[in-house]
Amino acid sequence: MSFCRAWSLALVGIDALPVEVEVDISSGLPGFAVVGLPDAAVQESRERVRVAISNSGFRFPGRKVIVNLAPADLRKEGPAFDLPIALAILAVSGVLERGVLEDAAFAGELSLEGGVRGVRGALSLAEGARRRGLRRLVIPAENAAEAACVRGIEVYGVRSLREAVDFLAGERTIPPAGPGGLDSAEERVPPEDFADVFGQRHAKRALEVAAAGAHNVLMSGPPGSGKTMLSRRLPGILPPLTTEEGIEVAKIYSAAGEGGGLRRRRPFRAPHHTISTAGLAGGGSNPRPGEISLAHNGVLFLDEFPEFGRAAIEALRQPLEDGCVTISRAAGSLTYPARITLVCSMNPCPCGYLGDPRRECRCSAGQIERYRSRLSGPLLDRLDIFIEVARLARRELRGEERSEPSATIRERVVRARQIQLARQGVPNAALPVRKLREVCRLGHDAEALLARAIDGLGLSGRAHDRVLKVARTVADLEGEGEISARHLAEALNYRKAGVADG
Amino acid sequence: MRMVSAREAFLFLSLLQAAAGSSFTSRMDGMPPESVLELPPEEFCERAGLRGGARRIYRRLRESYDPEELLARLARSGVRADTLADAAYPGRLRQIPDPPPALFRLGREFPEERSAVAVVGSRKATAGGREIARELGRGLGERGVCVVSGLALGIDAAAHAGALEAGGSTAGVLGCGVDVIYPRQNARLFRGVREAGCIISEYPPGEAPLPWRFPARNRIISGLAEVVVVVEAAEKSGALITARHALEQGRDVFAVPGPVRAPECRGSNRLLADGAGVIWDVREFLELVAPGGEPERGDGPLSGELPAVEAAVLREVGWEPTPVDEIATRGGFGMEELLPALSMLEVKGYVVRSPGNAYVRVRVE
Repeated sequence: MSFCRAWSLALVGIDALPVEVEVDISSGLPGFAVVGLPDAAVQESRERVRVAISNSGFRFPGRKVIVNLAPADLRKEGPAFDLPIALAILAVSGVLERGVLEDAAFAGELSLEGGVRGVRGALSLAEGARRRGLRRLVIPAENAAEAACVRGIEVYGVRSLREAVDFLAGERTIPPAGPGGLDSAEERVPPEDFADVFGQRHAKRALEVAAAGAHNVLMSGPPGSGKTMLSRRLPGILPPLTTEEGIEVAKIYSAAGEGGGLRRRRPFRAPHHTISTAGLAGGGSNPRPGEISLAHNGVLFLDEFPEFGRAAIEALRQPLEDGCVTISRAAGSLTYPARITLVCSMNPCPCGYLGDPRRECRCSAGQIERYRSRLSGPLLDRLDIFIEVARLARRELRGEERSEPSATIRERVVRARQIQLARQGVPNAALPVRKLREVCRLGHDAEALLARAIDGLGLSGRAHDRVLKVARTVADLEGEGEISARHLAEALNYRKAGVADG
Repeated sequence: MRMVSAREAFLFLSLLQAAAGSSFTSRMDGMPPESVLELPPEEFCERAGLRGGARRIYRRLRESYDPEELLARLARSGVRADTLADAAYPGRLRQIPDPPPALFRLGREFPEERSAVAVVGSRKATAGGREIARELGRGLGERGVCVVSGLALGIDAAAHAGALEAGGSTAGVLGCGVDVIYPRQNARLFRGVREAGCIISEYPPGEAPLPWRFPARNRIISGLAEVVVVVEAAEKSGALITARHALEQGRDVFAVPGPVRAPECRGSNRLLADGAGVIWDVREFLELVAPGGEPERGDGPLSGELPAVEAAVLREVGWEPTPVDEIATRGGFGMEELLPALSMLEVKGYVVRSPGNAYVRVRVE
């Protein structure tokens, strides 16, 4: 029989689906064809495989070679099929025993001299292979440590086609790779801490409340007031990543080609406002997760929010509602997870200095209204906490009092979050409207205050629900079952300012 | 030839002025108003001294003018037109130099029998300024004085809102057609003013809010009122134009003093330096323009004493915007106690929020 089969995997979203690489060599005019919905990079693997086999000291069969990638209706992308194709061809031509390919999956790009180059999504590949019931994964050496984070499968890293062949033939031993990448370069940098931020006590408290209830935040303040600095520190007070969350995040980074293995820290992403919709939501002809997904389980920070394109902002809607992004293309649709805490920042007016005591604002009332009205519509409903950040005076910047470290704040946040999960299964920000009334019981005084606030401050219906949710979180931070007037009053501080209070 | 009524002539004049952007009434120079439609076009242009663009506009409009159609269109949209020939035309406005030939109006008749005070000021006002405008509007409304303003953002909106809160009468004078809601943020206020008072413009319905129309409409605001109050005005503010018109028309001008360094108050402070009346106490001013005792304070800011924390916090909030972090540092408050206290004070009407994460005190009691 002149047929052989090897397992490989195709990355769809952040998951890897098994792909059978079937190779048949028959008599006929010499030729080499790849079928089974391959994209351009897969088609080109014919040339790489042919040359790599020759340069590794083997003979490429001078007959008709057909490669089929099954299932044939799944689109195959990228160069990771080079290695399994080459190995299957060598197995058919008798270099390798057929049996050795059976319980293993292979992925890797070949270089012309026969070396093996790294691939995207190693973590997902390992998980996909394990789910398929395969015992071993042979993968480029540079990805081995990342893939080895998945338990229940042996991962072997190879540097060249020759090495892979020798290993499979039993002529060389490679130790199974151990999990690595636990601290990627980024993770080794000590986290940014609220203890380093002087003053801004109001903003810090607001962010603590936001972290505790998973509320999305809008910060407004003049340039240089520390909006970015404060947001960067938000991931550090969110509850720590659970192992499952860490794997999810790692899979996304791996699928995006940013590798790095398991994560212990929540991601923080701050895309520039010129970003395209595909860059933000994910996609492209060779789909990759976008910034929203890269911020999964962490913080997405949109600086200069009103400058973002309408389409890009529109793309935020689904993730904020469903916690995932679905990208639909002619070839099919795929879903990336995207559960994020959104922090938007904006200037208080086009010139940025409205309300700044030391610099006069030059905008007209109309300009300011127009600027603010850019931030409207359905996305606004998803923002619960509005913070104005003021520029600090010099004496505050030099204040000698050291602020509270993030770790202490995080302890309170974790406790509040546990209360919420035990009570309703979701953080307060995700409370559905019909549950709101039931969960947000008001004390007698709080009820009276709310009625007064609705009249006196002109709270709209939507603002009302928002204030209730935030008040619930403030009460949870204190471990109180009932929302008191004080909790409600604090929550009133975080409502949106301005004429169009809504 | 059909007889031309004075009413038709005045309506035609107002169309002309809206299109040309200059006064025709002042060029009539003793001619009876009807002559604008009765004289042969060439002769009218000669006698009124029309040149170039004004002449072209006159000839174009004269050809297409159809008073019946115009009146029918007004009736359909519920807009009333009071011309100089009608008894409903406000008497005070009749006296000013260059009165508008016709006023288009939504809502009730302008309450001629009451006294009227114009409250004007910057669109980009401070929180404190808006609060004073509101208090003035409320006080005037309670004493049955009609509050005249321009339905713009900032001070204007606050003054109208105050009058509406007191259930008083108020008139909004626009620089565009009365059916054009500009700025859009004031849509709700427009409805309120139309129901409790009136919305007035010298421009026919549908006319756009062109920049030159706002200074022109300011002469109507001051013309309708007996007293003009400037609450907050920067150095180049439309409110100062209103004050100038007021002086030309012989109205009393008052201004509210503002902090010396605040750019929003330089224009109004300048007015004070030039001799405008000083509003140093709202109640005293109200007593001056509308004597008649102190009406009961129905929704007084607070019955009883403030709790200790709130009283302590209030002491640290200044009459100029004070940032929250500064209040905390000055008084040594923790955020968990300060934020609720500020909200309570806001709800009770002692402080208002101001841009830049600050609060400003607005009430003494």
